[in-house]
Amino acid sequence: MKKAMKGNISLITGSVMVAITFSLLILSFIWTPHDPLEVTPDDSFAGISSKHFLGADKLGRDILSQIIVGSRVTLLVAALAVTIAMTLGVSAGITIAVASRKLQAPMVYAVNIALAFPAALLAIILAAVYGASTLTAVSAIGLATAAAVAQVTRRTAYGILASDYVLAAHACGASTWRIIRKHVMPNLRASLLIQASAVVSVSVLAESSLSYLGLGTPPPAPSWGRMLAGSQQYIFVNPLLAIWPGIAIVIVVLGFNLVGDGVREVFDPTLRRSDS
Amino acid sequence: MSLLEVHNLTIAFGDKKVVDSISFTLEKGSRIGLIGESGSGKSMTSLAIMGLLPDTATVSGSITFEGQELIGLSDREHSHLRGNRMGMVFQEPLTALNPLMRIGKQIAGPLMIHKGASLKDALGSALELCTKVGLPDPDRVLRAYPHQLSGGQRQRIGLAIALACEPALLIADEPTTALDVTVQREVLNLINTLVDQEGSSLVFVTHDLPVVSIMTENIAVMQLGQIVENATVASLFHAPKHEYSQRLINAARVAEDAFSGTGGIK
Repeated sequence: MKKAMKGNISLITGSVMVAITFSLLILSFIWTPHDPLEVTPDDSFAGISSKHFLGADKLGRDILSQIIVGSRVTLLVAALAVTIAMTLGVSAGITIAVASRKLQAPMVYAVNIALAFPAALLAIILAAVYGASTLTAVSAIGLATAAAVAQVTRRTAYGILASDYVLAAHACGASTWRIIRKHVMPNLRASLLIQASAVVSVSVLAESSLSYLGLGTPPPAPSWGRMLAGSQQYIFVNPLLAIWPGIAIVIVVLGFNLVGDGVREVFDPTLRRSDS
Repeated sequence: MSLLEVHNLTIAFGDKKVVDSISFTLEKGSRIGLIGESGSGKSMTSLAIMGLLPDTATVSGSITFEGQELIGLSDREHSHLRGNRMGMVFQEPLTALNPLMRIGKQIAGPLMIHKGASLKDALGSALELCTKVGLPDPDRVLRAYPHQLSGGQRQRIGLAIALACEPALLIADEPTTALDVTVQREVLNLINTLVDQEGSSLVFVTHDLPVVSIMTENIAVMQLGQIVENATVASLFHAPKHEYSQRLINAARVAEDAFSGTGGIK
């Protein structure tokens, strides 16, 4: 593994970015410069200073503290959305790919309908029924992206099932279950990693938008998406307010994408330079 | 009782018959060559024996193997025979191996499936099989991935996988077509030796008359899904009965003449 990391710029850069995010998460439970919710009217729109390293918002709340605590929501969203989307999407995709011809058509239709269903509408429905929360937003994002994951998984799995080595495995007497475990899953892995990193990015961004619409994490709990939304009206007065949460979101999204890309390289033996 | 009896086998996709009522028998320990151009149905015939036809194909007639009727057999029952009593070597040795699985595990596969061997025991047998198919440095080969081996070595692996459970029948579907000409002969000799050693029967599928004449005495010439001539190599060369057999011989002669300098392609 160490050998594989060498020279893999995507993986190294991505890992550093993801590590920064996780450090913020850990830090949020240990120490923050200020109480992120503490309102100090005197510090309204304070610039960068020794008191507020990244400045303060309209209500004088410390930006750095909010960013640190906001990492909780972001990473929770990413983790839950990936779990929901990948579990549902991958199992559905593989099931459809190996199903008999007759069963395939209705299942593909079902996935297509799910794919066409807008995530925002789903979020509104869930928020209306259960009240807007991080959890309803995550469920909506997870379910909506699961359909896309299922679609890509099904197509990739088709290709693998049609390959010569799967035919050869059948010729060895392998059962369908064995073929899924030994041949389909390992060869899907690269595509799944890319999808998982894409789901992380999409869900972090989607949570930001949903929070912005009031369908995600309710105030006052800090969330990067809502910080970004809140800073919008002061963008010309105080652009730094929008830049900090923006940078935080970029680091997470880019970090996971780069890790996904880098890990794919590590897992693909044909891309490795030396053997084993 | 013959090892393999194919009787009036017909394979159709919709209205299109790709194999049209063919019959042949294969005794235990004997060999047959199926020769024909692409689309003649020779590969479909071998897939039908293995039970690997796509589910869109409709099959009729009868294939009996070791006294068991294979047509209408459930996929599950058929899978007990595949890789166990009957093995298959494929045309393209690179794509027939899983690119992400080490060679050792791929050879160990059929032993674990059919003999209930543990991975450790199966890898032990895989090591012996590698030696048997003439691979140098078998320890390294078992740890290698397919892309790290040459075409000839990969086909030897394919053969090791097909022969792992000592099958009664080996089906070789154009096993040397994708190989370098210099390697072809080595692999053919290896198949010859191993099939003799194991006492297996062989169905050898090819479009190449000189190749099939190295491998077997009996040839079934296929064209458009039918067996148009069933003869020994010698009688086919001397007195081909069918026009298509004659063309195959002419094609082979062109190559021969080119070497002996008496003509060739003008």
